[in-house]
Amino acid sequence: MADQQPQKSKTQLDAEFSELYRAHLRDVYSYAYYRVGNHHDAEDLTEQTFLQAYRHFERAQRESNGRPLRPWLIRIAHNLAANLYRDRSRRPVSPIDDTSELVASHTTEELVEGRDELARVLDGVQRLPDDRREALIMRFALGMDNREIARAMGRSDGATKVLIHRAVKQLEEMVGVSGTGAGND
Amino acid sequence: MTEAAPSFEGLLHKALSPVEPPEDLGRRLEGALMSLTESAVEELEAWELSAMRDPRNWVRPAAAVIVGGTAGVALVLLRARRRIR
Repeated sequence: MADQQPQKSKTQLDAEFSELYRAHLRDVYSYAYYRVGNHHDAEDLTEQTFLQAYRHFERAQRESNGRPLRPWLIRIAHNLAANLYRDRSRRPVSPIDDTSELVASHTTEELVEGRDELARVLDGVQRLPDDRREALIMRFALGMDNREIARAMGRSDGATKVLIHRAVKQLEEMVGVSGTGAGND
Repeated sequence: MTEAAPSFEGLLHKALSPVEPPEDLGRRLEGALMSLTESAVEELEAWELSAMRDPRNWVRPAAAVIVGGTAGVALVLLRARRRIR
């Protein structure tokens, strides 16, 4: 019966989309912010993500078979962010040169505890290869589990688990060996 | 040194804490979605009206009425024959 659902009315679809939007606005914004590194672009990216999601919502619902749509939303944001960097060819794909704005998003308490450490970790995250950085953002900023991350990245659960493990290991080494620039590139 | 290996993930959680979207983003987005919905409804209504003005688009509904009507008549006839028998 779940496979053969009757077509939903426009009002019902809009209500369900509105629910999805409210539930995941912060997720999409957080992802966008850590991906592009500033509020201005993060706002644009979030807006574009939801507008695009709205256009394809009915189909996504049909094809999701009741599974959560968060990975689908994040995948849209990921694709749009990739396009953003492609369009702005003057900007590097590895996005953030200055992590000070990212650190500025943290509370005073956190900063007093260890501003240097947080800055080093964020700097390290930005220096990771794209896929590892994305996986860490999804895991730690959005709290997604392996299965959700796998769906968002179009990988298997096993490959995602390995990816996250390697990302954490690499970052730990980068941050631990020396403050900045200890890793690749 | 509190930063032993097991707490590195804790540090990552702290570094990558969720970021609250600005309030005006929510308002702006809701406005954009609302206007998108309204324009979609207007577009659909305009399309339906213009489509029904074109006689070529009458064929399908007319055919549906004819087919439906014929099937109905056939069903009534079948039932009537069964009753007679």
